[in-house]
Amino acid sequence: MFGEELKSFRRLGIRHILLQVLNFASVIASGLMIWKGLGLITNSESPIVVVLSGSMEPAFYRGDLLFLTNPASERYQTGDITVYKIPGADIPIVHRVLETHDVVPKGKTSSAEAGPAEQLLLTKGDNNYVDDIELYQGLNWLERKHIVGKVRGFLPYVGYVTIAMNDFPQLKYALLGGLGLLALIQRE
Amino acid sequence: MMCLLAAIALSSFLFTADPKGGLQIASVKVYPASKRHHTSKKQELAFVNFNITADLTPLFHWNTKQLFLYLEAEYTNSQGVKNEVVIWDRIVRRKEDAVINAVGKNKYMFRELSSTFKNVAPAHYALKYNVMPYVGVLTYGQAARTVEPVAFPESQSRVS
Repeated sequence: MFGEELKSFRRLGIRHILLQVLNFASVIASGLMIWKGLGLITNSESPIVVVLSGSMEPAFYRGDLLFLTNPASERYQTGDITVYKIPGADIPIVHRVLETHDVVPKGKTSSAEAGPAEQLLLTKGDNNYVDDIELYQGLNWLERKHIVGKVRGFLPYVGYVTIAMNDFPQLKYALLGGLGLLALIQRE
Repeated sequence: MMCLLAAIALSSFLFTADPKGGLQIASVKVYPASKRHHTSKKQELAFVNFNITADLTPLFHWNTKQLFLYLEAEYTNSQGVKNEVVIWDRIVRRKEDAVINAVGKNKYMFRELSSTFKNVAPAHYALKYNVMPYVGVLTYGQAARTVEPVAFPESQSRVS
C-alpha cells in the first residue's frame, strides 16, 4: 500500500527528508513569529482568545473567537468587554466592565498632572446575576495589571477546534501526526 | 468562506446610524446600609429612579446580533476619583424589542468608593449601547445623556 511512497523515499534519500523536516520547522517558527508579533502590536499577551464558558451568553458562546487589543494609553470604560486573568487562576475570564474608578496616584494632587490614573474595575458576565467579586480570589477590585485586553472583534465558532482538541486529546495527536506525515511525503 | 465573512464584517461599517433618545432621572435617594460580608461596616447606597425612551431600531441591520444597552452614572468624588458605574442594563436581541420605553430603578448596587455620598459632586447619567455583530467589530455609542448633573441628596434613615 505504501510501497510506492517508500520507494520514492529511498530514491530521494536522506537529503530530501531533512529538507522536509526543515520546511515543517519553518512553518511552526513563522506561526510563532506571527503570534508574538501580534502580541507586540496589540500590547496583549494573548491577542486572540477562545470563549470557554457560557457566562457571556447570548453575546458569546463556547468556541467563539475574540480579537483583543490592550493599548497602554487608553483607559477602560464601562461596557467594554475585557479578558482578565487573576494570579492563581488558570484560565482567563471574558466579562464586561460594570464599574470603573480612576484613582489619582498618591502624592499627586490634581488629576491633570498625574497622567494616566490607576484604574479600579469591577466586571460582570452578561449571563450572570451578580458581579465578579467572588471570582477575584480575595481582591476587591480588578486592576490594569490583571487585564489581558479589550474585545474588539468577534468570529463565531472557529475556536471550537481548540476546545475539541482539549476535550479529546487523541484528536490533537492525530492532527499533529497527520500534518507531520503530510509534510514528509509531500513532493516539491 | 473567509472572504464572505470579511465582506459581511466590512459591510457593517456602511451602517452609521446614531439614534438618540430621552433620559430623565426621576429621583435619587441615599440610604445607609451595611457592607457585603462586613455587617459591622457601614456604607451608603444610592437608589435612582429613571425614565428612558429611545428608538434603537436603526441600529439593527443584517450583521447585528444583539444590542447591549446600559445606563451609567458618571461623577467625581471628593478625593478626585473619577467614577463610572453601570446601574442598569438590558440585552436587546430583536428589532421588534428595540423601541425602549423603560421606567425603572437601578438593577445593580450603586455604592461609593469612600462609602459615603456626602460632598460628592452631582452626577451625570448616560444611556449607552454596544452593538454586537454576528461577525466583525464591536461598536459603541451614546443614545442619551442628562443635560444638567443630578445631585446626591443627604442620606436618610430607612423610615421616612
